[in-house]
Amino acid sequence: MGLQAHVTVRRDGFQLDAELGVEAGEVLAVLGPNGSGKTTLLRAIAGLAPIDAGRIALDGTVLDDPATDVFVPPERRPVGIVFQDYLLFEHLSALDNVAFGLRAAGVDRAAARRRAAEWLARVGLTERGRARPAALSGGEAQRVALARALAIDPRVLLLDEPLAALDVGTRRQVRRDLRRHLEGFEGVRILVTHDPVDAYALADRVAILDRGRVAQIGTIAEITAHPRSRYVAELVGTNLITGTIGDDGLVTSAGATVAVLADFTGPAFAIVRPQSITVSRTAADTSARNTFVGAIDDIDRIGDRVRVGIDAPIHLTAEITAAALDTLGLRPGDTVCAAVKATDIHTYPQ
Amino acid sequence: MTGTAAAERGAAARHRRVGRERLPVPALVLAWLAVAFFALPFIGLLWRAPWGAVGTVIGRDSVRTALWLSIRTSLTATAVSIALGVPLAWMLARGEFAGRGAVRALCTLSMVLPPVVAGVALFASFGRRGLFGRYLDEWFGVRLPFTTAGVVMAQAFVSMPFLVLTVEAALRQLDRRVEDAARTLGGSRWYVFSRVTLPTIRPALVAGAVLAWARALGEFGATITFAGNFPGTTQTMPLATYLALETDPDEAIMIALLLIAVSFTVLVALRDRWLGGGRQAG
Repeated sequence: MGLQAHVTVRRDGFQLDAELGVEAGEVLAVLGPNGSGKTTLLRAIAGLAPIDAGRIALDGTVLDDPATDVFVPPERRPVGIVFQDYLLFEHLSALDNVAFGLRAAGVDRAAARRRAAEWLARVGLTERGRARPAALSGGEAQRVALARALAIDPRVLLLDEPLAALDVGTRRQVRRDLRRHLEGFEGVRILVTHDPVDAYALADRVAILDRGRVAQIGTIAEITAHPRSRYVAELVGTNLITGTIGDDGLVTSAGATVAVLADFTGPAFAIVRPQSITVSRTAADTSARNTFVGAIDDIDRIGDRVRVGIDAPIHLTAEITAAALDTLGLRPGDTVCAAVKATDIHTYPQ
Repeated sequence: MTGTAAAERGAAARHRRVGRERLPVPALVLAWLAVAFFALPFIGLLWRAPWGAVGTVIGRDSVRTALWLSIRTSLTATAVSIALGVPLAWMLARGEFAGRGAVRALCTLSMVLPPVVAGVALFASFGRRGLFGRYLDEWFGVRLPFTTAGVVMAQAFVSMPFLVLTVEAALRQLDRRVEDAARTLGGSRWYVFSRVTLPTIRPALVAGAVLAWARALGEFGATITFAGNFPGTTQTMPLATYLALETDPDEAIMIALLLIAVSFTVLVALRDRWLGGGRQAG
């Protein structure tokens, strides 16, 4: 049960081919960069973009299946959607925006407004019912959009970048509110975002979409522990090494050898947390089994921490303190040694 | 002292900087020339007006009949333009069919045609001996030429393109995702069109309707060619004005002023209420 979607959409030079299943009561975040097909996926599930191949079914009912020529139009799908820029109806008050779906379903005006007012109260906007969308703040508009989508009592709730239109100052508050409102909804919830922070804060599982394909799908813990592609590793903020484990350790396709501890052989992934990498000017006498020499190609400050990209035979990102950076006096282009203990490298089969 | 003076100069400079952008002098001269070009005819008209005879001229039955006919026919023509023009604009904006450009050109041709030519075309088609008019008469007993319906037809023929082009542009600019949002909320296509699309393009619809109405009110050439000039049935204000000019210039001027007053009042009223003159639009 729940939503089963295999979505293939072809559009001038781009192909989305994503397969995912979401249970009722679950929040799935679809995480991916701009242009990865996230919005197209949501539009297909909502029925706004018919799929070219594949199948979309909700609780056993087929919504879209080109093979058998089934297509349920958007107005007959039990799917609510909160759009990226909310797309409230500018000519209607906040209350009438929320009442819109009920009115479209034939509920009379008074009853629709009464129920819409209840929804506005639920999202904490009782006072703002008469306001026009143009007078609402970003956070308020988002809550009106959410109430409008939920008022039709959908079984699937889709959220397209629900926090992207907000400024940094209000994002945390709105994210917290959104989490609370999402918890109160029993159906399938799919959240599309390009920001891992939103995915971690709001979702049970994450599907990572890269160039139109699901690169990986799983719980946040699974994905963080076992990223299976370079892109996913970057998203979760770790180093991924791909190669084959043999007698000498892990050998990458470029021929570099990494000393690892592993109880298996064959094609493998290895991850190294940036915090586990020690950076020094000269090769130090160290217990670390791996030392890679390379030029610094990137220095990125995040608060009091610094991420240093090192163009060694295996490209690594190390995280050091700002104080360490200053002491070593590192600048882009400097040659440094990156040391990693074999025990800090976590391996798993491909 | 000097400090204060400098501060004042500074304040003045700041004031100038936040003030209006200065236009180049030659452009200003030309702009005011254009204003004079539009203002002088009205000034001349007001100066020539036989103010003493206002009461008698407006009180004349012929004038009141023509005014009433003009208002009735121009409003009917506007209603026809809206009823047919909005679906046409929608089809031109959203329809995907071969020859759309040709259809648009055909449907807006009458806007650029000399009105007399439009009248001749209507006469050739819907006149009593016309290609279609013949059968309308034989089969249904409907006669359009030289009737009030013919006036409305001539007015709608030349004025509808103004509405179609305005509404089509607005439909093209509309963010269609707003309609998508309405559909996901359970709105059928018609419900979405009437409750979301139309209200969203309302400023353009009103502007287009006003343009079409003004064109219909002023329609002369097509009307006189196709519908003739019969007091009470087809003699609208512009026709009455033109004919009065030969017999009674004072009456012509008074009718002209009356037309101007009607148009001006409507334009000003709509400008504030709908067209967003000075204030934020839509």
